[in-house]
Amino acid sequence: MATSSNEAADGHGEGGEARKVFRGITDDVAKIALSPTPKWWYPAFAVSNLMLLCLVVALYHLFTTGIGVWGNNNIQGWAWDITNFVFWIGIGHAGTLISAVLYLFRQEWRTSINRSAEAMTIFAVAAAGIFPIIHTGRPWFAWWLIPHPNDMGMWPQFRSPLMWDVFAISTYATTSILFWYMGMVPDIATLRDRAKEKWKQIGYGLLALGWRGSARQWHRYERAYLILAALSTPLVLSVHSVVSFDFATSQNPGWHTTIFPPYFVAGAIFSGFAMVATLLVPLRYLCNLKHIIKESHIEAMCKIMIATGLMVGGAYSIELFVAWYSGNAGEWFTFRNRILGEYSWAYFMMVSCNVLVPQFFWFKKCRTNPWIVVGLCILINVGMWFERFVIIATSLARQGVPGMWGYFSPTRWDLLTMIGSFGLFFTLFLLFVRFLPVIAIAEVKAVTPEAHAGKDHH
Amino acid sequence: MSSLDHGYWKSIAEIDREVASDEAVREAEFAAAEVELGDDAVDPLSRRNFAKLMGASLALAGVAGAGCKRYSREEIVPLARRPEDQVPGTTQEYATAFELGGHAQALVVTSYEGRPIKVDGNPEHPFAGGGVLAGTKRHGGSTAFAQGSILHLYDPDRSQGVSHAGKGGSFSDWKVWLGELRKQGNFGKVRVLSEATSSPTVQALRRRLATELPGLQWREWEPLSWDNERAGMVQAFSKVVRPLAHLDRAETIVSLDCDFFVDHPAAVAYSRDFARSRHPETSSLGRGRMNRLYAIESLYSSTGVLADHRLPVRSEHVLAVAQLLESLLLNSAAPRAEVANEAKVKTLVEALAREIKANTGRVVILAGRKQPAAVHALAARLNQTFGSSCVEYLEDPEPSRPSHGEAISTLAREIDQGQVDTLFILGGNPVYDAPADLDFAGKLAKVATSVHLSEYQNETSAKTTWHVPRAHYLEAWGDVRTWDGTLTLQQPLIAPMYGGISIIELCAMLLGDETPADVLVGKTLADSGAGGTWRAAIHDGFVDRTRFAPQAVQAGGGGAGLVGSQAGGSDAKNGELEVTFVHSSSTYDGRFANNAWLQETPDFLTKVTWDNVALISPDTADKVGGISSQDVIRIKVGDRQLDIPALVMPGQARGSIAVMLGGGRTRAGKVGNKQREWAGGGFDSYVLRTAAALDIVSGASVSKTGRRYRIATTQEHFDIRRGYSIDKTVGEKEAAKKIPDLVREVQREAFGDPAYKAEKTHPFYHDHHHGRGGSLFAEKTYPDRKWAMAIDLGNCMGCNACVVACQSENNVPVVGKREVTRNREMSWIRIDRYFKGDPNDPEVVGQPVTCQHCENAPCETVCPVGATLHSSEGLNDMVYNRCVGTRYCLNNCPYRVRRFNFFDYHKEFQDARNNVRKLLFNPDVTVRERGVMEKCTYCVQRIQGAKIKAKNAGERGAMPDGTITTACQAACPTEAIVFGDLSDPESRVSKLHGDRRQYELLGEQNDKPRTRFLAKVRNPNPELVSHTNQPAGHH
Repeated sequence: MATSSNEAADGHGEGGEARKVFRGITDDVAKIALSPTPKWWYPAFAVSNLMLLCLVVALYHLFTTGIGVWGNNNIQGWAWDITNFVFWIGIGHAGTLISAVLYLFRQEWRTSINRSAEAMTIFAVAAAGIFPIIHTGRPWFAWWLIPHPNDMGMWPQFRSPLMWDVFAISTYATTSILFWYMGMVPDIATLRDRAKEKWKQIGYGLLALGWRGSARQWHRYERAYLILAALSTPLVLSVHSVVSFDFATSQNPGWHTTIFPPYFVAGAIFSGFAMVATLLVPLRYLCNLKHIIKESHIEAMCKIMIATGLMVGGAYSIELFVAWYSGNAGEWFTFRNRILGEYSWAYFMMVSCNVLVPQFFWFKKCRTNPWIVVGLCILINVGMWFERFVIIATSLARQGVPGMWGYFSPTRWDLLTMIGSFGLFFTLFLLFVRFLPVIAIAEVKAVTPEAHAGKDHH
Repeated sequence: MSSLDHGYWKSIAEIDREVASDEAVREAEFAAAEVELGDDAVDPLSRRNFAKLMGASLALAGVAGAGCKRYSREEIVPLARRPEDQVPGTTQEYATAFELGGHAQALVVTSYEGRPIKVDGNPEHPFAGGGVLAGTKRHGGSTAFAQGSILHLYDPDRSQGVSHAGKGGSFSDWKVWLGELRKQGNFGKVRVLSEATSSPTVQALRRRLATELPGLQWREWEPLSWDNERAGMVQAFSKVVRPLAHLDRAETIVSLDCDFFVDHPAAVAYSRDFARSRHPETSSLGRGRMNRLYAIESLYSSTGVLADHRLPVRSEHVLAVAQLLESLLLNSAAPRAEVANEAKVKTLVEALAREIKANTGRVVILAGRKQPAAVHALAARLNQTFGSSCVEYLEDPEPSRPSHGEAISTLAREIDQGQVDTLFILGGNPVYDAPADLDFAGKLAKVATSVHLSEYQNETSAKTTWHVPRAHYLEAWGDVRTWDGTLTLQQPLIAPMYGGISIIELCAMLLGDETPADVLVGKTLADSGAGGTWRAAIHDGFVDRTRFAPQAVQAGGGGAGLVGSQAGGSDAKNGELEVTFVHSSSTYDGRFANNAWLQETPDFLTKVTWDNVALISPDTADKVGGISSQDVIRIKVGDRQLDIPALVMPGQARGSIAVMLGGGRTRAGKVGNKQREWAGGGFDSYVLRTAAALDIVSGASVSKTGRRYRIATTQEHFDIRRGYSIDKTVGEKEAAKKIPDLVREVQREAFGDPAYKAEKTHPFYHDHHHGRGGSLFAEKTYPDRKWAMAIDLGNCMGCNACVVACQSENNVPVVGKREVTRNREMSWIRIDRYFKGDPNDPEVVGQPVTCQHCENAPCETVCPVGATLHSSEGLNDMVYNRCVGTRYCLNNCPYRVRRFNFFDYHKEFQDARNNVRKLLFNPDVTVRERGVMEKCTYCVQRIQGAKIKAKNAGERGAMPDGTITTACQAACPTEAIVFGDLSDPESRVSKLHGDRRQYELLGEQNDKPRTRFLAKVRNPNPELVSHTNQPAGHH
């Protein structure tokens, strides 16, 4: 980074200063987890819990009554269930991108946000992961999708993209959790060492896996981190590509599109960054992390959103163009219907939020004003939710035979389930913020100017 | 959470609580019944004679096979002694008959271990049986009502005992009362009001009643009757005769407001005969020839759909149009009616007249039930001159019978004059369906003692002194006649489950005759001199050569004058509108209101379920104040008014409002009662119907009430549009382009070109560039059998018999009105209906769609658990047990034929009261659990059954074409649906798959469906082609 070209010549004199800075970072991060719970946390946690309760109630009703509590019908077999699934999986993309891809590309600014982005990924995947299970008519048999030896002569049908989903998502979830947790071990050890209460010492002690911070441990840690980063990188591309196959390999006009994998990946990163920004902008105020999560970090994320937003907009237009240019009447109708028909409101919601809104980030003021950033990022996530809704619901509404054309109307249970998935996400995130190191302490230290005092390896 | 969110049973339970005042009375009845029956009342099975007959263990074994809950505990106990001729697990078929509106429908009913489970037409019946295609050995179509009638047998709402003065009673009490009545010796004030019946035994008993109980008089009332035709025959021929048309001999067929494909007692035979002369290559008229159908009607009917030319005119104007036709043919005076001078009418009628002259002798003109006597007389005169070889006139069994309207009016007058102190009401429901001006409920209150024999404790039962449960037709002996008079036997398949008796038995009791009904029926047969043995008659279900004798008739008499309302033009002001009373395709006249299958079967043209509505033309709807569909309108005729939701119906004649009868029942049962908006039940439209105007009433005005009412239709485009769209017509425009591709039609002339092939006419998805691609996956070969289906669109009249038959055969659940509005209806076969052209005079096409059993089935590749698979014989099989319910298959099915169990649609069985319904399940078909996908299986249970049978008989491979029929195929009166084995080149389905008219639905997807459609051949009059909508789809 630019700051690394520090002019300090001699490390000895500055060493005391650097130690102070490093200690400051450790203090600031560890304080969040170790000091008494801040006041803002309680209402936030209460609201999230209330939302989570919605999920519990909605799922209880769903499991005891049937999929019919939602608005899905015999024309649109999927609606909000799979919309929410794809939405959350998309959110879950930013974490891996930040941790793995930016790591490999030596984008050191990532260190201040990677931990929380990874956490967000895992919680988003958790929120996403419930949908493929609960959207089945008989969720108590959802485990039949997992290949396992059994005496029922059952074996999954590997031509189905839903099977590929099972592998893609479980791989992604496993890798992300390992990556996140492994990265946290040194920091958890720091918390263990600083904790005053017995239960915290034991809890963090167990989680720290005996980390002592020896050079050998650091060496192995760095190697393992690199390997996991290399393993995760292809997942950034593969997971959402596979999710997009659910649609792309079907034969429905509006779904059957070769552009889907890159389009979905770009959209996922787009929405993932929007969610990271939505969470971190308030967090840096609430947890006094402004000096660690700097304005420049927020700006960098906004710039990525411009780029991915443009990719998504490009995908919309290419999709539309190809629908016309291909001469496939069904495809062309699906798009005209999407734009002009009963769902036009959803289509324009999607286009304005995903294509127009990120254009504000061209202006520095919009990238630096926290209120504007959060507002725009929320709009982007609304838009990205609608993108999935538009793809799923409008395409299915009017397929081959006009005698079976329909219109999906959500029920309150659809709404409660969606609110509940946000509740799950926020609850987990708030627990993370409260009890775990939200910043990768060691990594941040490594990129502070002080860490490079006297060594100019750039 | 509200249980109204879903499941109709649950919702109805709620509604029941709401209709508390009415229900309290009934609740008391049930309480009384329960006290009487003691613990048995908890389990309705154990107290039924059925169970005694079969042995409770057997019944439970049957239930076990059809058990709906996966984990419910059941016991299977073998019979100690096997009843004679019964092999457990096999079915027997018995011939019987069902009577609707006084006319028989000959049936064969399938019985499984003593319980009837399926109704079909009697293929051997000389009138109604017989197929259309060459190579069909046995075929007997049926109607939706006949198919649905079996549900009533197991209806827990059926009357289960005698009641007296609204409280419990017993048969013995009633018999004591009857004995006292008989002792009086004076029967001058005793009247019988019977529903129409063609039974010779009832007639014999009536003759005995007249002599043995002097003074007793018999009246007959049927809300939907063909009495206008009888009056017309008297006008034309001075005697009552019954016209019987032979449509297979007719070149030109004209319907004067007559829906002879559906709303006619001979509908099955007429449909079959029409189909026989319809197709140029197989026509009964000779090769290359084909009949031509003209329909002049107000309400869009099935006949109008199949017509080559349809003229929408008000029902009251049909007379003027018919007179115009007569004036051109017989040089009689032309009618002075504006409508007869309208260009459109004139052009059509003039061309029609020329055609009739050219086809003299081979013309049939049929006048409809609603039309006044003058139209029937006119049709009869024209048939005499131009249709001599196609229409014959048969003797009427009761030539002196007054019309039903007169009969019930007479009875009402007699009651007013104090001439009636005892009234027996046999069947029917006059309190609900008698002409409103008679105030029959009020009249009934003036009768000292009244008895109602009825299957249900309905509106009439509530007002009578005694209610006596009536046996279902499958529980009773009887004899009935089809339209042509063929004596058709009705034999019971099950002992009366609730102790009901039949009309015959009640009449015998009245006579003090202890003879059992079967002996009475046998005696009638023996006395009739029809020949044949009782055994043979019971076996066949009919006695051949017993049709009514043909009568020589001599046309006489002139035309009738036009009354004021008939003289106007087709434009009508509000206040001059006509209202026609039409039967409901769900409830008929209200009697099937408690039949959930029929209630949920969408009307072919309106696609409305669960309610009856008023149909109004788009043009009139605009003119009378911008009425749109689902507006509740107030129809006023004189001082009578009706609030009913409107449905703007394309093709409805201007100025004519068709009001469906049969809704708004208050004591039909849990399913049929008028309920809150989300459960349906309809509106009582009988309030507008008076004795003087039973069919058509003029001078109606319509206004909006400002209220809206949700109508549950299974198809929602063309006229029910939603908001938010930028271009509300984007879907319609697309549909208009697509439909000619989906439903292919060809004009007879184009079809005459031997190069014509329906699969080459691909107007929408032109695909010049690519040949048919292969599949990504290895395509299967089918070395053994290849099951396939062919559906002839030219023969589909939209009668819905297939839809109800499928529901009955495959244990398809009913979901209720709210679920229908959410597009969750479960029917495995649906009939898509499309309009095209001018909304005020569109053409309509229908298309039955089931699972297409694609060879490259898109549903199969996407199922993650392999729950839908391809069989070695080409069936697309569903493994319910394996399905986890991802619904991906549904999303990937371009035909949208898959049906998901969004709820436990068999939840009603949690109520022990409904357990009896389980007996109706077809034990060979799994009852699906919630959360699994289902769809048409090509009746795989029948395929497997036939294969097992052939194998057991040691004739592996020997299954000649026709061994297996699917339920829809068996029900179809016209053989529009054909199923068979493609590996047999001689099978009918193979031949149809090789027909020039065959094509695949959405063939461009390369799904290779095993169901092929056959394009509809239209036969427009070349003179008229430029004047009517040019049918699209073949350029």
